[in-house]
Amino acid sequence: MGVLLRLSDVIRHFGGVHAVDGVSLEIEEGAIFGLIGPNGAGKTTLVNLVTGYLRTQSGSVRLGTPAGEVELARRPPHAVAGLGVARTFQTLRLYRNLTAVENVLVGMHPRRPDDTLAQLLPLPPLRRGEQERLEEARGLLRRVGLESERDGPRPAWTLSYGDQRRLEVARALALRPRLLILDEPAAGMNPAEKDRVRELIQQLNAEGLTVLLIDHDMRLVMGVCRQIAVLNFGRKIADGSPVKVSSDPAVIEAYLGKEAEKTAAHVPGSEEIDVQAPARAPAAAEPAAPLLEVKELEVAYGAIQAVRSVSFGVAKGEIVALIGANGAGKSTILNTLSGLLRPRAGTARFDRLDLTTASPDRIVRGGLVQVPEGREILARLTVRENLELGAWVRRDGQVVEREIAELMERFPILGQRRNLPAGQLSGGEQQILAIARGLLARPRLLLLDEPSLGLAPQMVDAVFEVIERIHKEGVTVLLVEQNALRALELADRAYVVETGRILLSGTGSALRRNPEVRKAYLGG
Amino acid sequence: MAQQLLNAIFIGSIYALFAVGYTLVFGVLDVLNLAHSAVFMLGAVIAYSLVALHGAPFWLAVILAVLACGLLGLVIEYVALRPLRRRQAPPISALISTIGLALIFVALVEQATSGSLFSWLWQDGANSVRFPSGTVPNPTLHLAGLTIEGTKLGILVTTIILMLVLGSVIRFTQVGRALRAVAENRKAATLLGIDVDRIFASTLFISSALGGLAGILFGIAISDISPYIGRDQVELKGLAVIVLGGMGSIPGAVTGGYLLGLIEVLAFVRFGSNIAAGVAFAALFVMLIVRPQGLFGTRLRERL
Amino acid sequence: MDFFIQLLTDPIGFYNSHELLVAQMGINAILAISIFVTFYSGQLTLANAGFMAIGAYTTVLLSLYPRWPLPLDMLLGSLLAGGAGVLVGLPVLRLRGVFLAIATIGFVEALLLGVILNVPITGEGQGLKNPTADPLGGIVPILVSIPVLTYLVWRLTRTRLGQAWAAIREDELAASSNGINVPLYKMIAFVIGAILAGYAGALETHINFFVDPTEYGISRTIQILTFAVVGGTSNVLGPIVGAVFLTALPEILRFVRDYRDVINGVILILVIIFRPQGIVGRGGLALIRPRWLHRRGRVRGSPASAL
Repeated sequence: MGVLLRLSDVIRHFGGVHAVDGVSLEIEEGAIFGLIGPNGAGKTTLVNLVTGYLRTQSGSVRLGTPAGEVELARRPPHAVAGLGVARTFQTLRLYRNLTAVENVLVGMHPRRPDDTLAQLLPLPPLRRGEQERLEEARGLLRRVGLESERDGPRPAWTLSYGDQRRLEVARALALRPRLLILDEPAAGMNPAEKDRVRELIQQLNAEGLTVLLIDHDMRLVMGVCRQIAVLNFGRKIADGSPVKVSSDPAVIEAYLGKEAEKTAAHVPGSEEIDVQAPARAPAAAEPAAPLLEVKELEVAYGAIQAVRSVSFGVAKGEIVALIGANGAGKSTILNTLSGLLRPRAGTARFDRLDLTTASPDRIVRGGLVQVPEGREILARLTVRENLELGAWVRRDGQVVEREIAELMERFPILGQRRNLPAGQLSGGEQQILAIARGLLARPRLLLLDEPSLGLAPQMVDAVFEVIERIHKEGVTVLLVEQNALRALELADRAYVVETGRILLSGTGSALRRNPEVRKAYLGG
Repeated sequence: MAQQLLNAIFIGSIYALFAVGYTLVFGVLDVLNLAHSAVFMLGAVIAYSLVALHGAPFWLAVILAVLACGLLGLVIEYVALRPLRRRQAPPISALISTIGLALIFVALVEQATSGSLFSWLWQDGANSVRFPSGTVPNPTLHLAGLTIEGTKLGILVTTIILMLVLGSVIRFTQVGRALRAVAENRKAATLLGIDVDRIFASTLFISSALGGLAGILFGIAISDISPYIGRDQVELKGLAVIVLGGMGSIPGAVTGGYLLGLIEVLAFVRFGSNIAAGVAFAALFVMLIVRPQGLFGTRLRERL
Repeated sequence: MDFFIQLLTDPIGFYNSHELLVAQMGINAILAISIFVTFYSGQLTLANAGFMAIGAYTTVLLSLYPRWPLPLDMLLGSLLAGGAGVLVGLPVLRLRGVFLAIATIGFVEALLLGVILNVPITGEGQGLKNPTADPLGGIVPILVSIPVLTYLVWRLTRTRLGQAWAAIREDELAASSNGINVPLYKMIAFVIGAILAGYAGALETHINFFVDPTEYGISRTIQILTFAVVGGTSNVLGPIVGAVFLTALPEILRFVRDYRDVINGVILILVIIFRPQGIVGRGGLALIRPRWLHRRGRVRGSPASAL
């Protein structure tokens, strides 16, 4: 077994951002290799460099072939695919209007002889080839767990999210690749589905396929990969077996969190450590007179049922958390509350305002303000202008001016960068800006969608401190978080959301100790 | 030569004014409004109609015509654009839809002859007319050996003032910030409580008002008002301007407008009028290849 | 109304009395096919009128000066249009969406204004006289070409190339990862479109005694675009249906002949808003639904989804 993929000192900068800063690694043939790191560490950029979507600025990417090592750098994507490297995309790129089978057939493109001119005449011998390909495509779909065309052929966009992810893998497999790169293949899947992904990867590997896996789910990565590289700020900070990597202090600090004791539970194989938490008065099961009341909410995107009969409430002065995996439907719930989406059924009331029919601007004026996922900062406007817009719905200009000044004092970073385009702030700083901006709208209920997403652990600490502070000052908060541990520490009550449903609810501390929750979301 | 440069500045003003409307809609709504040139034409037609057919004083005709064009912008938004947004159609559909609207506008004017349905608006069918002489005072100044017509100077001044006003509003007012917010990130703007539909409607109103004004100024200065002035004079050149300047950028539209005026005049001086007309497109072509985002535009990168 | 009556009850007679109209419908159908090919690969190119002009002028000039036989002239005209397609395509096909559309418009206008109207050999603004035109016989190649081209283009969409085009149309970046050489295949679609448009131009000159430069401006391209939009772009028949329908429409609506363009505009808006998949669409008039795979006649992905 030789080296299948060899990266040597690969560099790619974007202006001042060192996206990939001299990364070297070797993937052995037959390996299952994991690539992990915080968001923005350069993992997907690295994959794009390997597969030809980005040009390397220096360094080499060599693919091992029977004829020796071949340089991949500076080849266009289709050439890289032609050499046997298949990939899936972090953002999921299917041929949405083609059926599942058609999607898979396209994946076979490089393997098909170019018989286009001959095919202009419908001769029988060509039909046979078509039939064989069809059979193979159907087989691949079954392989990944998709019942092909169960209800007749449907456009790919009508499949469920999990099925779409599976389809993308099937399409990549149609290439009969030597190296399969999976970029967050299990995003949005529940633990059972993730297990199936793990099994599939192991099966494929047993048949000789080399796999490069990128994912945030430590259980998945640690459970299936035999070697793992860790990226941070474009550099490789660790490389080795799962055990070695997970106990590496640099890795723990950068990725798993400074307060490693709290998060060591993420990694299977380590001791279960009882998490200490400040005492909190256990809240009542459901609030009696909730500020926000949601009943049997159902939200769908076309054929995909994203939220199924969800009911919960938030009382004045509480912090309530919605935790669950990516794609579980949490953001969909928030977007429905903000009026960006309309539910198929159910009610959502904020005080006396019917959120399911009110316009989004009315909702904001009513005091329900969302700080969206990914911040959605207006990058080209200055920090100050972003804040000024936060007060769009208010009429009291003088008071706003004062409040902006106060916010700039409380969060000095905002004051310092007040005239810079907001896009130049770091992720954590942007998050703080987004929260400050949300506060300026004088919210009675603040919706926070994934505030820790993509932030380095130190910044997460800072952001959560801010959230705790504003909560103490009386703002009611509904928090959506993938980082279950943090969310549960902070929240008075929480609900666990999975594939569009509420599975569990309870106080923050109770859920933290709940074995199901620990297993699924806290890594054991 | 200096005389030609003056011409360039003046025609550049008209291009700039027209292009600003174009680029405003593209920047805020992400739509290329190909009915804009029809509004340009209607601005001239309505003003002419008010003056020549209904005897209104010029200043009143201008105000009414500009307002009418603003309202036409609302028609464009409600008829051609909003229904497509509601069903989340891709931007190409809006392009085609505005083409359809432009066809309608031009054809209606084209067919309006005396005795027809629209004869209250226009009676000259496909012909070209000019404002009755004396409509606008046009003193000629002689400065440093150059002949400067009063109207053209007026156009330049008007354009500059308008651009400064627009620029200030966009940069310094809360509404301007809201416009920029919507242009940059619709979702974020909605979550701030901005009524995005209302912003879109306002943008179309302003854009079309500016386009109509450009048409009126054109009519005064070039003395050519016909159903085809939009299509022949500015539609494609407007595209060239915003491509040169950067789509979605107002300073880009202004710069591009003057730049195109300059290029055209220089080409005319050097090569004669036939080639000059094609020059705009050669410039557009080159810019799209060398720097597709234009002088002031920003590069769009797709996320993988 | 008597238009339809005659069409249905006395097709031969209809043909004889409306020859020029039928010929024009045929030409527009071929133009519609030319824009279908580029649409199918996801490109909104508005340059067809320009390629048409190249085909037309080349054909006539070759028949006038070196006096080569007509079929050769037409072949060379079409190929030259294809060659222009390569030249224009190289820089332009990197652009996407609106930018591509604008660049191709730019090309057409530059060609028209910069070249055709200025070069003496093309007769500049006056156009060219074409004494060898044959309005009656000229219709034969048109009528023969249409089914042949339709069949070829339809088969093309079912080949490996056609499959690649569909993938490119859906998602260029994903297509690259599936080993599809996106720039090359886009160019091929573009050039085929150019050749077909050139061919249509050549055919058109053969039935007219006069080559008119104003025919080849942006209005022509928008007209062709309208055929595709109204007819529907999910399969090759759509634009043909659109072309036939919209070319015949002025005749049918002779009583509102003056407001023809208004009606065109209204149709365009109504279609794009309420029935973006066009007449043919999914489950419209489709007489023969080309099958992507052997299926029980289910809905298939359509380029109209790009609309």
